[in-house]
Amino acid sequence: MENARMKFYCDESRCIECDGCTIACAEAHELPVGIARRKVITIHEGIPGKEVSTSVACMHCTDAPCEQVCPVDCFYIREDGVVLHDKNKCIGCGYCLYACPFGAPQFPREGIFGSKGAMDKCTMCAGGPLTTNSHHEFELYGQNRIAEGKVPVCAAMCSTKALLVGDAESVSNVIRARVTARGGKGVNSSYGWDKAYKNQ
Amino acid sequence: MRKYIYALIALLSLATVALATDSQIWGEMRIQNILGYGQEESLKLGVWFTFLQSKYFAWVFLGVLIGVPTVFFLHYKIVGQKVFPHSHKKHYAFNLFHRTIHQVAAVSFMVIIPTGFIIVFGDFFGGGTLVRAAKNLHGIFTIPFAIVIIPMALMWIKEAIFNLEDIKWFMILGGYLSKEKQIINATQFNAGQKMWYWVCVLGGLVMILSGAMMFFMDFKIEMLHNLTGLSHIDMLRASAIIHNVMGFILVAVFFTHIYMAAVAIKGAIHSIITGYVEEEEVKFLHNAWYKKLKEKGKF
Repeated sequence: MENARMKFYCDESRCIECDGCTIACAEAHELPVGIARRKVITIHEGIPGKEVSTSVACMHCTDAPCEQVCPVDCFYIREDGVVLHDKNKCIGCGYCLYACPFGAPQFPREGIFGSKGAMDKCTMCAGGPLTTNSHHEFELYGQNRIAEGKVPVCAAMCSTKALLVGDAESVSNVIRARVTARGGKGVNSSYGWDKAYKNQ
Repeated sequence: MRKYIYALIALLSLATVALATDSQIWGEMRIQNILGYGQEESLKLGVWFTFLQSKYFAWVFLGVLIGVPTVFFLHYKIVGQKVFPHSHKKHYAFNLFHRTIHQVAAVSFMVIIPTGFIIVFGDFFGGGTLVRAAKNLHGIFTIPFAIVIIPMALMWIKEAIFNLEDIKWFMILGGYLSKEKQIINATQFNAGQKMWYWVCVLGGLVMILSGAMMFFMDFKIEMLHNLTGLSHIDMLRASAIIHNVMGFILVAVFFTHIYMAAVAIKGAIHSIITGYVEEEEVKFLHNAWYKKLKEKGKF
């Protein structure tokens, strides 16, 4: 059997800009102030018919650009497509941010000259390279809910279930059912979906 | 000098103010950053940066790192050093100020360039503490260079302006391709040295500015947006591209500078250590300067 390909999808017709995903993420992973792995944005604000809110974080892209540009090769991509990185290898250069279409990588300020610390981004609640569910892993990467068989916290907490996460096929099935139910309206795919997954 | 220090303090405090404002990347601006990525009407700098950094930058740096010294090794083997007697008269050409400024820049380069290579080949070094330390040194040693670059630019600018003789110098590459000692009609600095001056000063400024942008990353200077018409993230992407490309040039010419001073003309490096240049070297390699000095009764 082929591996599942994990993807995020934000159903823009359902997102109500409540920011619940951002808060859930920050609380679950005990993120420092100033770091928001997930953020709700509103694009084309004020333009009737075009205004949409959507929740963005690392999309765990196919052929992830961040992984391609990293000078220390600190990224690794799991079999299921989740893009993770090793904070002990990361030097905080910022290249991944320049390559990212979603502005996902963030850098806490640390050290005396305000130099950038190791990059932080969404892990799809899959932790990092350290021992799974160890204290160390939690400190650096947050919860490893996937290892526990739980849904990533943002999607789990989404009140309107706009934010979906899971293997590509299951996500597509949910979306297809929803589109059919609302009579084919709002067929446009979620913002950034094409960019991240190249229509695969 | 005092004015210069004030200007530096003002710049630093300005930078602090800039850092204290709202995020230009992850705040409201994030929408602009996302919308700008790879869209038709943008410069597609995100796509370009990804393409160049993932496919080319490290290889070009490797090419420069191996290629330039190889060329000079061949030159050393085939053409060899030019040896001039050091027993003749000397002329005191570089005073203590010149030498101090030069040495501060030299030490900065000795740290900035190797650490730069460690960052570029960070995967080879396995990342982590070593490469992070290299990154920090790369930034810290920019400060002394940034302090001396303006005085260095000013103290040698008169000698560094190109003239018509320099075309001839370039035609024969300063006579360095032949074993014979030719009389070269150059002033205090020959065309090659002038080229290094401009690459070092202008290229150095470009490196400092683009490097500072990437170092501070999340800052706000409205003027820059108005000037370039780019979003904040696109300015960072442009900085990364420019920093790498300028790096190729600067490193290649820096290697040349080292080779010329330390190897190609035997013992020439002593002139920037002691301040004295050798009569024979000046007579052959900088004849126009030599005549002028002769007139003044030097030597």
